[in-house]
Amino acid sequence: MLEVKELTVCYDTAMLLNEVSMEVHRGELVSLIGPNGAGKTTLMRTISGLVLWEKQMKRGTRAGNITITGEVYFQGRRIDQLPPHQIARMGLVLCPERRRPFSELTVEENLGAGAYLVRHRRRYQDTLELVYRTFPVLKKRSRQISATLSGGEQQMLAIGRALMTRPLLLCIDEPSTGLSPLIKQELFARIKEINESGITMLLVEQDVNLTLAMSTRSYILSHSKIVARGDRNELLADETIRRSYLGL
Amino acid sequence: MLANILVTTLVNAAAYAMLAVGFSLIFGVGRIINLAHTAYYMLAGFSIYTLVATAGCPAAPAVLLTIALITVIAVLCYKLLIDPMREHETTVLIITIALALVFQELMLKYFGGQFRSVPSLARGFFVILGVQVTRQHALTCMVLVLILGAVWLLLQKTRLGLAIRATAQDKEVANLMGMDVSRIAAITAAISAALAATAGALVAPLNILEPHMWLHPLTIILAIVVLGGLGSIKGSILGAVIIALSESLVIFLLPQGSFLKGAFSLLIMIIVLLIRPEGLFGVALEGER
Repeated sequence: MLEVKELTVCYDTAMLLNEVSMEVHRGELVSLIGPNGAGKTTLMRTISGLVLWEKQMKRGTRAGNITITGEVYFQGRRIDQLPPHQIARMGLVLCPERRRPFSELTVEENLGAGAYLVRHRRRYQDTLELVYRTFPVLKKRSRQISATLSGGEQQMLAIGRALMTRPLLLCIDEPSTGLSPLIKQELFARIKEINESGITMLLVEQDVNLTLAMSTRSYILSHSKIVARGDRNELLADETIRRSYLGL
Repeated sequence: MLANILVTTLVNAAAYAMLAVGFSLIFGVGRIINLAHTAYYMLAGFSIYTLVATAGCPAAPAVLLTIALITVIAVLCYKLLIDPMREHETTVLIITIALALVFQELMLKYFGGQFRSVPSLARGFFVILGVQVTRQHALTCMVLVLILGAVWLLLQKTRLGLAIRATAQDKEVANLMGMDVSRIAAITAAISAALAATAGALVAPLNILEPHMWLHPLTIILAIVVLGGLGSIKGSILGAVIIALSESLVIFLLPQGSFLKGAFSLLIMIIVLLIRPEGLFGVALEGER
């Protein structure tokens, strides 16, 4: 469904991704694990088109000196030259790091903004109901300004908003940051449920244990490179990987 | 006198609000400080003058034609000059002020510097609470308030409005939700210019027309949006009412001192900024990506 081929991304002179190749198949829940600064977020932002957009917006400045080489395919179509809104239109949607709700909008308006592409009233209602069923707390808070939600609720809102776009592949960047263990587990259970409902997922996470347990396969990214790949057992079987990257 | 103050305030507040809301909209969505904003207002005045006083066109089509013409000019300027430079804030300031000066000089060349006036679009007057209100004042005020209401509805109740508000909050996430951010910014630029043109077309018969007439309202709307909070629509409207009220109070209460009205407006702005730097409804701008 998603195929990344030898993707290299440089910001000015810093190489943030170094010939990264990976794929995600229909129905899978693939996770991307790795230390801070390994390039996980950059990979997500490149796939979703944000890095290219940033490059175009900031052209002519040092911050816009970004080079992207390699190829990204989604559903067999090459997407690495497409703007982010067209990639979203194809069904590849990123739920960004740090949640980033539209903070002055209410919960329901946030979800409505997510449903920008859903023009049918009926379809919109169905999707909204589905999101409210997955995250009942959002329904309770629907008229509240989203900046007033707790961290966990904001994360649910961010995922809910991404679900409103009716994605085929949902990428979630570090959903568990700053959440208490209990809420984290609850959230991961919901993520697993969403995946089981038929939405393919690519998940970036720091919490190795929980993530490995629920993923179909995982990639480990370190120093801009994919250093290991495989399912939980394969990764845990390798002593070096376990010690250096998983901290187990 | 109280009624006089009220009527003047209302007309001015509506016109200022109209200008300030447009200015705020494009700032919110594009982070563009468009110093040419009131130049569109000035152009609209000259367009109405040409159509009504010179060509003898009836009022309603003249107003519509003016709005359409100014909006097209503004969108062209936005697409060709402002949009390509959006990330360079200082450059945008220089481009927009240059644009305003170009429009000013063009009008000076074709119309000369003398003061002109536009005949009323609606003649006659009626009396409310013992005050003579000309039909032109009433028309201007009513139409402006109606349009402001329509803009409010557009922003709050429609899909486009939601997209505009979402884009103003976080462009990247708006992108991720499938919104074509640059298209939305261009539409916002069009709405913004149309509002300035409407204000110009309707206010022209109440004011003296001359090529420098964009400068004073520009200062005032800068004061208004800073007072209300940059990017906040609510703030722009409230700011417009406050500044318009202060202006008419100065004019009516200090008969020799009407030249002080601008100073008072800016003084209010400074006081608000000292107490509340983000303005009445503004949010401190967070680090954006």
